[in-house]
Amino acid sequence: MSAYPQSRRVRAVAAAAVVVALAAGCSDANSKNNSSKGGAGASGVLTLGKPDGPQTNNSNPFLATSAAATLGYRVMVYEPLAMTNRIKPADKAKPWLATDWKWESNFTKVTFTLDSRAKWADGKPLTADDVAFTFNLLKEHKALNADGVPYDGVAVQGKQVVLTFKSSQFVNQNKIIQQYIVPKHIWASIKDPETFPNRTPVGSGPYQLKSFTPQTTTLTATPDYWKGETKVKELRYTAYNDNSAATTALATGKVEWSFVFMPNYKQLYIAKDPKNYKLWFPSGLGIHGLWFNTTRKPFDNPALRKAMAMVVDRNAIYVQAESTLYPEITNPTGIPLPAGDSFLAPEYKSATTKPDVAGAKKILSEAGFKLDGGVLKDPSGKAVTLTFTDPAGWNDYITGLSIIKDNIKQLGIDAKVKTQTADAWGADVANGNFDATLHWTNSGATPYDMYQNIMDGALLQPIGKPSQTGNFGRFNSPEATKALKDFANATDDATRTAAMNSLQKVMVDQVPMIPTAAAPIGAEYSTKNWVGWPTEANPYAPPQHTQPTALEIVLNLKPAK
Amino acid sequence: MKYLLQRIAFYSVTAWAAITINFLIPRLMPGDPVQALMSRFQGQLDTNAIDSLKALFGLDKHQSLWQQYTDYWSHLLDGDLGLSFTNFPTPVSEIISQSLPWTLALVGITTLISFLLGTGIGVFTGWRRGSWMDSLLPVTTFISAIPYFWLGLIAIALFAVKWPLFPESGGFDDSLVPAFDWPFISSALYHGALPGLTIVLSAMAGWILGMRNMMVTVSSEDYVMVAQAKGLSERRVMFSYAARNAVLPNISGFALSLGFIVGGTLLVEMVFSYPGIGYKLFQAVGGKDYPLMQGIFLIITLSVLAANLLADIVYMLLDPRTRREA
Repeated sequence: MSAYPQSRRVRAVAAAAVVVALAAGCSDANSKNNSSKGGAGASGVLTLGKPDGPQTNNSNPFLATSAAATLGYRVMVYEPLAMTNRIKPADKAKPWLATDWKWESNFTKVTFTLDSRAKWADGKPLTADDVAFTFNLLKEHKALNADGVPYDGVAVQGKQVVLTFKSSQFVNQNKIIQQYIVPKHIWASIKDPETFPNRTPVGSGPYQLKSFTPQTTTLTATPDYWKGETKVKELRYTAYNDNSAATTALATGKVEWSFVFMPNYKQLYIAKDPKNYKLWFPSGLGIHGLWFNTTRKPFDNPALRKAMAMVVDRNAIYVQAESTLYPEITNPTGIPLPAGDSFLAPEYKSATTKPDVAGAKKILSEAGFKLDGGVLKDPSGKAVTLTFTDPAGWNDYITGLSIIKDNIKQLGIDAKVKTQTADAWGADVANGNFDATLHWTNSGATPYDMYQNIMDGALLQPIGKPSQTGNFGRFNSPEATKALKDFANATDDATRTAAMNSLQKVMVDQVPMIPTAAAPIGAEYSTKNWVGWPTEANPYAPPQHTQPTALEIVLNLKPAK
Repeated sequence: MKYLLQRIAFYSVTAWAAITINFLIPRLMPGDPVQALMSRFQGQLDTNAIDSLKALFGLDKHQSLWQQYTDYWSHLLDGDLGLSFTNFPTPVSEIISQSLPWTLALVGITTLISFLLGTGIGVFTGWRRGSWMDSLLPVTTFISAIPYFWLGLIAIALFAVKWPLFPESGGFDDSLVPAFDWPFISSALYHGALPGLTIVLSAMAGWILGMRNMMVTVSSEDYVMVAQAKGLSERRVMFSYAARNAVLPNISGFALSLGFIVGGTLLVEMVFSYPGIGYKLFQAVGGKDYPLMQGIFLIITLSVLAANLLADIVYMLLDPRTRREA
């Protein structure tokens, strides 16, 4: 009795499998056929990828370790209150879930007005309760508050949400207004939001999770997204194990949007399809530079650091060490241009970082340094030597260090380059156990984040005690510390400008760190199937797909004709 | 039987020692998981995140080493391997069960194939030494002398990029979801073909060479001569008399390579972006992910021990001398 139906079931399963196989084969063949005509866009799929290795099923948007954050798909599922453009930090943020936000009483209070059209992917409206719930979540769970914003009062007033703070949040304002909002009706019942894997994420964004595998996460467009229809029907995020696999995938067109560091990108990538394969690496306000341990003699002498900064060849670092991918630093204040144009103090507007050996020698001799048989001697008569250190295998940094080593040789300074394991190096940098090292800084909406990271006296730790959040060089300048405090707490723009100008003066005159390159927010993308990407001519967003602005880019994309 | 019990007792002590070392090593390594995470993000993660990460990983509490050790054992005995740091908050057991099957399938099958193929070819080349088959030796030795990652990259450059016969990376097609159905299985086989072929190619030479040389040694033994003199068939002498004795070193070599299936496949998984456990271990070490490292080391330790025990048993069956009770 059971034999017949069973065999029928087997046959049905086999038939279904064949159909699926054929369908899979067809869609594959389709995308291949179409791509030659430039229109896999017609099938609506956009492929993205990064070298992060196999992922685990976790879409918790608050955790940097989740697949959603690592691959970047959280920005397609969850939406921020407002959209800020990190490569044009002076521009006002674009309204998103909030149509308006007003800062009052010296940045200790902000009122958000929500867009009444906004709704969750499951159809429920997105309300002020959801927003207040999200901020309360951050306030109560330190582990989720990755930006460390000191949330205090959270109140709902009709359709508005009011946040109040104990101190001015001028420098944190972007972190607050670009907060992702999660639905209260789902998260309110979660007991441990820190360990919540959120496997069926519900957000307000235009995409929903379709399938998750360790290798590829697929998102599909929400049919009735509150901001309107999207042209990209499906997003496929693939995790590759290393740079070379990701680069191959880019070169063969399997991945259309990615950011991978590749030293010879012209040959490996652009040359495979010069018409469509694009690469754009603009910078925000974060930098890389040579940090000094300012407690060690003779590098506690600002004249010596300044002279060294004057001879470093940033262009050589840009071309040879960073393969022209990390934008060159052209201003001695360290502020990357054009992103930071509007913050430059008047006296540094036209300053450049062109190497000036004669000028550097003059500064040294005025400070009592002597050149003795090609060896620079400090005022006490000791030869000036130092050891540079960075992790072995960080080739761009190691090349940068050897360029700087050659540059300062012109001043009679002998340097050695030492390599370490990344772990030992990380511990040494935090503990102040180094002469000088290439390291990055934080970045933010203003150069404050970068300067605060380099020279805030409030972060000072004695040598040997880890200083993990910044000021690794133990730079102690009451002037800089005061300017940082003034900038963060100022009630008017004039005070802020004055503080910013004096920070730049400290940076140029005392050089706690020699800026060497800007930190890019770059990406590779292909115009073969999709057009509408941000470009240098139309920099509406940084091109990187893990940035919140990636959502704006996807909404902007159209199939290539 | 006594022999077997002795072996089992020996392996239990080894397991305890290995698990204890497994606990100590990650703690003796410099660096901490939060620092490693900050380095991985290279400025993409604000330093203000450090406090929240410490709270997240539970590193803000201080515990003595002994306390950690007893906790470790009690969790282990409960089958709880903890939560991974690099993929927080995914349980370690989930990561292992997600990546282990890939490695076991790919490397397990290819190790078996290369062992059988290599040993088989070795039997014939050793038995008929001086024939044309000897010219195979330099070719296979040459291939096995190529560093694996290089062989893999060449294979990708030729058969995935220049002539796209095979996919260049991944364990299955991006548009599929792992399931027990034909599209997925065929896709997994298709994606496993190129890494599988390169593993077989590079691993085979060792088996051929070992087996051939043992065959040469064994075939000049008296008992082989006697067997031939008795007029037994060529086949019977080759397999039952010569090969059965010659294969012993290869068996123990095979057992060892079984144990290393779990850990020794990092390069394959790197080159082909294969979703296996070797790469996960690499990530765990880089990220100072103690729980994940310990979990994977545990699996490796246990599989090496199990493989050795298996080899002991097979050896006992093949070689009567090991069965003799002293």
